Amino acid sequence: MKALPVILAVLAVVVVVRLVLLRKRGSPASPLRWLAARVRGRRLFGDTGLVAWREIRERVRSRMFRVVTVILLAVVGAAVVIPTIHSGTTQSERVGVVAGSASLTAELRALARSAGTTVQLVGEPGLAQARAALGSGRLDMVVDGTGKILVENPVSASDTSAGARYVREVSLSLGEQRAFARAGLTPGQAAIVATAGPLPVESLKPGKAPRTTTEATALLGVILIFVVLTQYLTWTLMGVMEEKASRVVEVLLATVRPIQLLAGKVIGIGAVALAQAASLVAFALVLGEAVGSSLVHGAAPLVVAATLVWLVLGYAFYSWVYAAAGSLAERQDQVQSLALPLSAPLILGYIVSLIGVSSGNASLLVKVLAYLPPTAPFAMPTLVGFGEATWWQFLLSAAACLACTAAVAVVAARVYRAAVLRTGGRVRLRELVPAPSDAATGRVTRPAS
Amino acid sequence: MGGLLELDGLTRRFGVVTALDRLSFSVPSGQVVGFLGPNGAGKTTTMRAVFGLTDLDAGSVRWNGAPVGPAERRRFGYMPEERGLYPSMLVAEEIEYLGRLHGMGATDAASAARSWLKRLDVADRAGSKVESLSHGNQQRVQLAAALVHDPEVLVLDEPLAGLDPAGIDVIGQVLVEQAHAGRCVLFSSHQLDLVEDLCESVAIIDHGRLVASGTVDELATKGARRLAVRVDGDRQATWARALPGVTVSEVQGGEVRLVLDDSADSDVVLDAARAAGRVTEFVFGRRRLSEVFREAVNR
Repeated sequence: MKALPVILAVLAVVVVVRLVLLRKRGSPASPLRWLAARVRGRRLFGDTGLVAWREIRERVRSRMFRVVTVILLAVVGAAVVIPTIHSGTTQSERVGVVAGSASLTAELRALARSAGTTVQLVGEPGLAQARAALGSGRLDMVVDGTGKILVENPVSASDTSAGARYVREVSLSLGEQRAFARAGLTPGQAAIVATAGPLPVESLKPGKAPRTTTEATALLGVILIFVVLTQYLTWTLMGVMEEKASRVVEVLLATVRPIQLLAGKVIGIGAVALAQAASLVAFALVLGEAVGSSLVHGAAPLVVAATLVWLVLGYAFYSWVYAAAGSLAERQDQVQSLALPLSAPLILGYIVSLIGVSSGNASLLVKVLAYLPPTAPFAMPTLVGFGEATWWQFLLSAAACLACTAAVAVVAARVYRAAVLRTGGRVRLRELVPAPSDAATGRVTRPAS
Repeated sequence: MGGLLELDGLTRRFGVVTALDRLSFSVPSGQVVGFLGPNGAGKTTTMRAVFGLTDLDAGSVRWNGAPVGPAERRRFGYMPEERGLYPSMLVAEEIEYLGRLHGMGATDAASAARSWLKRLDVADRAGSKVESLSHGNQQRVQLAAALVHDPEVLVLDEPLAGLDPAGIDVIGQVLVEQAHAGRCVLFSSHQLDLVEDLCESVAIIDHGRLVASGTVDELATKGARRLAVRVDGDRQATWARALPGVTVSEVQGGEVRLVLDDSADSDVVLDAARAAGRVTEFVFGRRRLSEVFREAVNR
């Protein structure tokens, strides 16, 4: 994407500033020596990095992570492969022909092409032999030139597979030809009648356009963002709550600053989330390429990239909120009552975007929600899928989300700092307003003993 | 290694409750200092204040004369009252992780974790999850977590609570070793006999205020004369309760401990005891720490 050089430049500036600041604080004389020492000690990102690394290691090791990953891979695999199975582009129909003719053979081959399949025609000496071959599975279908079509199982009208479509088209076409013959039409007249089509009906308002590849990718992207955000935000919430409930937070905060602990947790879980989502996307793309899925064609990769970007931005925004909420609770039931209101904007963005993608129209509501940080992670990839977001609109929404994330992080860090050492019940936000004696220090804690 | 941890005028209020009230005392290196007080006296709040876990309305914590900040706290070891470890982490990895958060390199932290687990007799559980350990073993692991980075100051909140005698022996030995190695060791406990055995000095607080402090010897020999008397046939020491200038301090296992003020005559006490029954013990002695404690907090 065009924004990549900008992102890399910002990262480079951040690294240089950090090196300069550390040098001023009395770290080893050379930034390179400082860097080398950190790499040797595996402390490149300081305490925040250590906290994040522990989160990554523990999460990836957990049985829950492995089970969820396998399930998601299976779901993604099914979503990619099943449509291609139904399209049946590579399947060949074995058709037994009784009392055939050159024109019938040509007709059957032409119908196969129009149904998106190939056909293997087998001449059968009689209907009884053809019936036996059909029953034994050597044939998929039998066409009797005297006016009969046999299949092993009834063909449902809702079956969209290539084989079912072929049976329906052969049935319709041969039936028409028999009717034309009975009516005494010449081949020329029959051809004219056969090409008859309905008159076009024009509507004043535009109708629903057929779904494009990018829209289908956007649909999967929105679902992916929702599933991954829901899973990992819950982990963040639970992780903070568990640290508080197990009292390990008191040991950690004796040596690590609250913001480092909070940031390490958010970054660590976020890294696992991004890695899992990227793996799922990579798996989908590779599998899609292998089975010829439309997911990887056209402009879909751009939508995939937008999906991953908004997954990161969405997680960044919500993770602080969920982490702060986790610091208010110390029991599972308290977490559940906190999670419900937090997930409301997330669900709103998801539902509205899902309806937008499914209906084939980016509604005004989706266009508005695409610029609101709580709902943008769903609405903006939807607009990208519709091709209705320009690069500057995308960047504007991303910038708004980042700015809001920074503000949310500041508030969340304050809530976390004030609440995480309070034990003995769920902490209410109003309890965190400092009393006069606490105002000077900005910190509130219940008496300990 | 040597130093001085000073708590100077610590004051902490929670609304109308004053948890710490101008509390001052110091913990010199090379000593195990017992930190005593009834429940709710402010011990845990004091310890939290050392680690910046609760802010102070007034006062300061100093290490070698300088205010304690994040850099100093990295060289302190802390064992909170409500034990805190990740339940699902492996024991050795958890200690190594906490060592690294105190600034240790990966190799040093792993080596120190192994060494401390061995010293505290839980080396065989290094690869177990913390949650699978017994209470006593979790306590040993918690102490290892406080010690892994070889801290200059050890602050331990009730480290001996709930331990069996073997656990108390091991942890007690470690605390004394640490003090002899030049560390400052401050620990709180309600097990006063153990504190008396392990500590050179104590600080006793009540309602957030320091009510007594000094070496155990100083406190034991200070004040009125003490008598330990045992009289067959009168285990409740009713004979001693009406004697002028004499206060019954403790009655334990048939032995009565008496406090004699300046007006009391020990011969009168002996006569009264003999009148009550056969006297099998009559010893002038020191104050026990439990007596020091009760007298200091008036309970």
